[in-house]
Amino acid sequence: MIGMYLKRVMLLLGSVVISIACMAQGAFTVDAPRVVELDESFRLVFTANSEPTSFNPPAFSGFDVLAGPSASTMSSTQIINGKRTESFQVSYTYVLQPKSVGKFTIPAASVVIGGKGYTSNPITIEVVKGDGNAAGNSERSAQATGNVSGDDIFMRMGISKGRVVKGESLVATLKIYTKVPIAGFENVKFPTFNGFWSQEIETPSNIEFVRETVNGKIYDAAVLRRYMLVPQQTGSLAVEPSEMICLIQIKSPAGGGQRSVFDDFFESYQTVKKRITAPGIHIMVDALPPGAPATFAGGVGDFKMSAKLSRDTVQANEAVSLIVTISGTGNINLIEAPKIEFPADFEVYDVKISDKSSKTNKGASGIKEFEFPIIPRGSGHFVLGPVRFSYYDISSRKYLTLSSGDLELKVGKDKGGNSGMSSSLSLGVNKQAVKSLTNDIRYIHTGLSHLKRGNQFFVASFTFYALLAIIISLFFITNSFLSKRIERNRDIAGVKNRRANKVARARLKTAESFLKQKLYTGFYEELHRAILGYCSDKLALPLSDLSREKIAESLIKKSVKPDLIQELLSLIEACEYARYAPDPGGVEMDKNYSRAMRLISDLEV
Amino acid sequence: MKRAIFLFYFCVVLSSMNAQTPKELWASANNLYSKAQYADALQGYLKIEESGYASESLFYNLGNCYFKLNEIGKSILYYEKALKLNPSNEDLLNNLSLAKDFSLDKIEEVPDFILKTWIENINYSFSSDTWSYFALIFFAATAFLLLNFRFGSSSRLRKISFFLAIASVLLGLLAGYFSLIQRYRYTLKNTAIVMKPVSTVRSSPDDSGKSLFILHEGTKLELLEEIGDWKRIELADGRQGWITSLDIEVI
Repeated sequence: MIGMYLKRVMLLLGSVVISIACMAQGAFTVDAPRVVELDESFRLVFTANSEPTSFNPPAFSGFDVLAGPSASTMSSTQIINGKRTESFQVSYTYVLQPKSVGKFTIPAASVVIGGKGYTSNPITIEVVKGDGNAAGNSERSAQATGNVSGDDIFMRMGISKGRVVKGESLVATLKIYTKVPIAGFENVKFPTFNGFWSQEIETPSNIEFVRETVNGKIYDAAVLRRYMLVPQQTGSLAVEPSEMICLIQIKSPAGGGQRSVFDDFFESYQTVKKRITAPGIHIMVDALPPGAPATFAGGVGDFKMSAKLSRDTVQANEAVSLIVTISGTGNINLIEAPKIEFPADFEVYDVKISDKSSKTNKGASGIKEFEFPIIPRGSGHFVLGPVRFSYYDISSRKYLTLSSGDLELKVGKDKGGNSGMSSSLSLGVNKQAVKSLTNDIRYIHTGLSHLKRGNQFFVASFTFYALLAIIISLFFITNSFLSKRIERNRDIAGVKNRRANKVARARLKTAESFLKQKLYTGFYEELHRAILGYCSDKLALPLSDLSREKIAESLIKKSVKPDLIQELLSLIEACEYARYAPDPGGVEMDKNYSRAMRLISDLEV
Repeated sequence: MKRAIFLFYFCVVLSSMNAQTPKELWASANNLYSKAQYADALQGYLKIEESGYASESLFYNLGNCYFKLNEIGKSILYYEKALKLNPSNEDLLNNLSLAKDFSLDKIEEVPDFILKTWIENINYSFSSDTWSYFALIFFAATAFLLLNFRFGSSSRLRKISFFLAIASVLLGLLAGYFSLIQRYRYTLKNTAIVMKPVSTVRSSPDDSGKSLFILHEGTKLELLEEIGDWKRIELADGRQGWITSLDIEVI
């Protein structure tokens, strides 16, 4: 009966066995249900994909061998699109029944195929105390006609971790558990994972049922979907319920009584629809702790990093790549390229990212490679990096920063052009404008602080007013000093004039009295005598040899003005002439007197 | 007795802590700034300012610190303060225009009469102190030329001196005027900067007034009058309204 049930499952869900059997040469496997009831008989099948020369069965301790080993051979040939594939397998089948409740291990069996020995894996089978309602027990489930209870078939969403930090990957598995035969699914609604970055990592095309116990009951369980989830938000994130309608085959209520094994084939089955729901779950997502380093690129997990240049030495204008490799487990596919500062003279192109990660039940792991293509434009010795990469380490619960060492790059002179060109003089280089990279404020003033308290301005300060007062007072002082000096100078001239007048008046005193008495001859005699006396005193010449020529000569020596000399000489001549000439009358005498007066004054000054 | 001794020690410790002279504070703050420890440098500069000192360089450095700490409003405030002390500093004008690029509000300024703008430009091409030195030099020149005019030996020299003296005294008065007007504007305290990221300008000096417009951090305002905690302000484009004193800081 068990055999028949299994056959039916195989009919329903496709030839799983064949797909498994398509393996490499010389494989030897074992297949048995993981969980059985105490009074249940089950099949244990060893399968080899080639004709073995010998088969060495293990000891079945804890189990009664009801039948076996029965060997069977199966071969198939497929031609798809002209491509021919062949498969061949030999299976040894035992029918076993457990003796007692517990976990039993059936040790490995071995075969020899083509002179080589192969062993199967040991298999552990759990024996539970049955309630006679095992999934495989078609007789019982078939009797549950009409209505199928929620206990007979249900779905469940399982998650690998209930509490994670943002960015930490977890695996969600949607499983179906059933005790009744399933004919198909309808209206399957898988959850959308809002707030997560999600990816299906297992989407079985053939649903494989494996026996599992749930609350001490045996179910056929199968994985429907497996997802890798990376939370992108924090808080309690809900995974929506998933839903589907199962088509379940149950026996029609008609008929009954004892049946032979073969009768099953002729029974009438009925398909009922049953809506099943996997309840929604909540996942607590904690925020990453604060204090992420600047080089944090979103990685959560456990990583290693290495950085290298594709070449150490290049010519200018030749391409070279900086390759940063990050490997490890975690959300590796979400890691962003690390930020690297290149010298400003380098031309940097878009980062090439190659992701060689695989998703396993533990999350993604693998290698991610960032390739920075760069072209150095000038020659020189450059030090790049160090490249820093920070991630949040889940096991130690803190940020870790990995750093590559300095990467040295020697850039030689641009060879440029062909050999014919290089022999001639180059035509100069292309001029470049000096590019502003960024704008920043100018630096602080570090010189004298010029710190002042209170009044900040010079203009109304005491010093200012004092300086102004100094300027003004200096002006007035200088002004009065200068005007006084001029005044004094003018006084000196006046004194001289007055003295000269006095001298002249004294000399001409007698002449004046003669003038008043109108004594003509006496006046001119006196005038002549006075002038000559004045000249002899003035020029220190003896009166005896005083002639007009002598007087003129000495006056010229004294650099007296020539018109004054002329005037003096003509006056002397006039006096000499008048002594021997009659009085012409009139104002002649007055005129000559004032002439003499003026002359003596002028000569004195 | 013990308590008294303790108090005495406490005072001594306090005074020794405060004993840093402004010069030392200045040097240490400059040093911190050069190590990119802007917050610590800022504390140093603020301590100098608290002790009553002011200078164009101090305000300029304070503005730089605030800029580096991303407090654009404060940064503009201190640049404007420094600008009032010396409107001709190139570094200052450069940094201020950079800081203004980060403030949100774009206000179309009403253009002034062209002659007024020219005179302002001439005025702001030197600091108040420079103008006052000019004034003194011109006055001294005037005095010299007047003396020349009075006691010059030739009439030609006296004539030239006279006209030059008139020109010089006019220039001296102008320089003095520029210098004084800059000083006057510094003491006026009639402009302010918006300090809050978002601030509402209302039609009346209370919270019930209608919201006329929204201003953002770093915008310059002219203050017209004050009622309680509210200030009547005018924007460069001529719009007026009332803003609460808490949102602004006077330059």
